[in-house]
Amino acid sequence: MISRFLLALGLAALMVVTGVSSFMYLQGRQSRVAAPPQKPTQASPSPDAFSLPGTLYFAQAGALYSFSAGRFHQLTPENGWMMPALYPDGSSLLAVRRDAAFSDVFSLTRFGNVTAALTNNVAQGYCRDDIGKNQWSFYPRLSPDQHTLWMSYDGPKYVCLGFEDFNVNLSVWAVPLGGSIGQGHSWTTPNDYTGGDMQPVPLPSGGVIYTKYSYDSDGNRVGQLWYTDRAGSFGRELTSQSADCAQPALSPDGGNIAMICTYGKQLSYLTIASWNGSSLGSLQTVISDQLVAQPIWAPDGSGIAYLAPSASDGPFQLWFLPRNAYHPPPPSPIPTPLPTPGGPYTGQLPTPTPSPAPPPVVIKPIQVTKNLGLDATSPMAWAA
Amino acid sequence: MPLGIKPGRRARASQRRLSPYRIIVLAVLAVALSGLAGGFAYFLPAAATAFEATGQVVNVPSPTPSPLFTPSPSPKPVVQGGPFTVLLLGSDDDSKFSADHVLTQSMILVRVIPATKQVIMLSIPRDLYVQFWIGGSGKIDGAYSYGGAGGAIATVEQDFGITVNDYIWVGLLGLIKLIDAIGGIDVVTSNPVIDDYYPSDIFGGNPYDYQRVAVLAGPQHLNGQHAMEYVRSRHGDLQSDFGRSKRQQQVLLAIRKKAKQMKAEDVPALATALGGEIKTSISLDRVAQLIPLAASFDNPDAIQQIVLLPPYTHGGGPGGSVVPNWGLILPLVHQYFP
Repeated sequence: MISRFLLALGLAALMVVTGVSSFMYLQGRQSRVAAPPQKPTQASPSPDAFSLPGTLYFAQAGALYSFSAGRFHQLTPENGWMMPALYPDGSSLLAVRRDAAFSDVFSLTRFGNVTAALTNNVAQGYCRDDIGKNQWSFYPRLSPDQHTLWMSYDGPKYVCLGFEDFNVNLSVWAVPLGGSIGQGHSWTTPNDYTGGDMQPVPLPSGGVIYTKYSYDSDGNRVGQLWYTDRAGSFGRELTSQSADCAQPALSPDGGNIAMICTYGKQLSYLTIASWNGSSLGSLQTVISDQLVAQPIWAPDGSGIAYLAPSASDGPFQLWFLPRNAYHPPPPSPIPTPLPTPGGPYTGQLPTPTPSPAPPPVVIKPIQVTKNLGLDATSPMAWAA
Repeated sequence: MPLGIKPGRRARASQRRLSPYRIIVLAVLAVALSGLAGGFAYFLPAAATAFEATGQVVNVPSPTPSPLFTPSPSPKPVVQGGPFTVLLLGSDDDSKFSADHVLTQSMILVRVIPATKQVIMLSIPRDLYVQFWIGGSGKIDGAYSYGGAGGAIATVEQDFGITVNDYIWVGLLGLIKLIDAIGGIDVVTSNPVIDDYYPSDIFGGNPYDYQRVAVLAGPQHLNGQHAMEYVRSRHGDLQSDFGRSKRQQQVLLAIRKKAKQMKAEDVPALATALGGEIKTSISLDRVAQLIPLAASFDNPDAIQQIVLLPPYTHGGGPGGSVVPNWGLILPLVHQYFP
C-alpha cells in the first residue's frame, strides 16, 4: 500500500510521460512525403551498393556530383550548377551555372574546378537595369571535334524598359569554343511563344538533333525531335506531334537514340529508335510505367540510365535499365540432330514430347538511389 | 506511548491508502486521459486552423442588378452522396491589393459526381467580360474584389446559370505553402515556360517589380515556388490565360495525386503551413467525408478538363477582356454542370 501523495505523484509522472509519448508517437507516424531529399554524399547507395560502369555526372540542388564505383563525390558547391556535359575526349566537363535572372556555361575539370567561363549572359551596357536584357544558356554540348559549343540560347536582345518583349524563345546556337557570342550564330528558328528549341545533340556529320516545341491542332504545346544539317535551314521533324517526344540522347555507337515521349499525357515513356544518320526508325517504348526523364546510354553499351521517382510521386532517383531489357539476346538456335553413325534409323521414332516454352525473362530496371532529389531538368553525362 | 493514538493514526493512514485494484483503475484512467490529451495537443493546431478556414459563412447576393440585394444563405445544401459543384478561387493576395479586395487570378468550377467517380474541371478565363451580380460589367476577376466569395459565386451562378454548392479560396502564398507542405509535386511540364516579366510580388519588396522565370520542359519535381511560376506565368504563352488555365488544372491534379500519400498525422503540419491562406465554405465534417472520397478517384480518364478556348470566347473585349460566346458556352456548361 502506498500513500496517496506518492500515488498522485506517480500518476502525474505517468500522465506526463504518456501525454508526451502519444504526441511523439503521432509525430513519428507522419508520412515521409515532405521529408527533404538527402545529399548524395550522405545517402544511399552505400559504397558496396550497385555500381555503374564508368563515371556518371548529374546535378542536385544546384551542385554537381559524380557517381563512380558505387560512391558519390560532390564536385561543386550548391550554387546553381546544372546540366553537366562531357568533352567528347572525356577530359573535362561543361556545365551551366544558373543565377536568378541569367545562366552561363562554364568549362570545368572532371573534379569540378572552373577553368573558363564560356558565355557572359548578365545584362550589360545600355539599359542593363532592364531585367529582360539578361540571357539564358542551357543544355551545352561540344561538337565531336571539340571546336564548337552548342547550346540553347535566347539570343542577343535589344530591348529596354518600355519595350517589353514577351515572346522569349531559345534557339539552338553554335559558337566557336572560347569565342564570343558575336562569333556564333543561331541554327534554328523557334516557334513563337513556345519557349523555343532545346537540348541540341551535335552529330559527327556536322548536323544537330534537337527538341522543338510547337502548338498542335488542339492548341496544346508539344515537343518533337528535329534534325537540321546547316544553320538557318528549316530542318525536318523526326517524330510526330502526337508522340510529344523530347530529351534526345545518342547511343555511343551512334546507331540509336533514346528519348522520352508523353503522347500528350502526364506520363513519360522511355523510348528508343534506330538512327541511320538522317532518319529515325520506328519508336519502341521500353518503359511505360514510370515518369522517365533524362535518359543516357552507358558508354560501354551495357544499358540506359535515367531519372524517375521511386514511388508513384516524389523526388527523382537514378535508375538503370540493362541492355537485355530493350535489346534481348537472340534466341538460342534449335539444335540440329547429328548424323547417326551407321546410317539413318528406319524403325519407329519415339513421339517427341513438346517441352514447355521457357517463361519470358522480364528484365526490370534497377533502382540505384532511394532518397535523393536529382534535378530532372538537368541532363546527365557519363564517362567511360 | 499513549495507547489511544496509534489506532487513530492507523485508521487515518488506512483511509489515505487505496487498494491495489483502485490504483490500477486510476493508472489506466490516467494513461488513457493523458494519451488523449497528447493526441489532442498534437491535432490542436490543425483543429484551430480547420475551424478557422472551413465552414465560412458566405452570403450569396441574389443576382439582381441592384446594389440592394437580398442575401440568401449559402452553401446550397448538397444531397448526401450526390453530385456537387465547387468554385475554386485563386487570388493575388500580395501587397498590391488590400486583403479584402483582391482579384481572382484563377476561377475553376469543379463538378464532382461521387456515384460515377467523375470530376469535371472548367476553367473560367479571368478576363472574361461578364455582367456582375450587382449590375454593370467587367472582367470576372473583379467579382471577388467587389463582393468577396459571395460576389464571385453570385456572378458565376448568374452568368453561367448553374448552382455552386461551395467555394475554396487559396492565396498565392497558400498554394506555395501547400505544395511545399506535401513535399512538392511531380509534373510533366509541356514546354519551357520562359517569362522575362513575371511579377515579383509574393515575397515582399516592391510588388510592381519583375523577375525572370524559366521553368524547363519535361518531367520534374516542382517545389511550391516553381509550381507557382509554372501556373502563373502567361506572357510566354500564345494562349495567354487559356494556356495558364491548362497548367493550373495540371497542377491541381498533381496536388490531388500527391495528397493521396498523406496520412492523418500529416494534417497538423499542413494546417500550420496553410494558416490563413485558405478559406472554404465546406464544413469540417464534410471535409472529413470528402477526403476518402477524393482518394477513391483514381482513374485519370474520369477527370475531364475544359478550357473555354475560341470559339467559346474571343479577344478584343473592352479593356483587353475576353468576350464570351454564350450561345456555345451555356449548352456546354449545362451539359456538364446540370
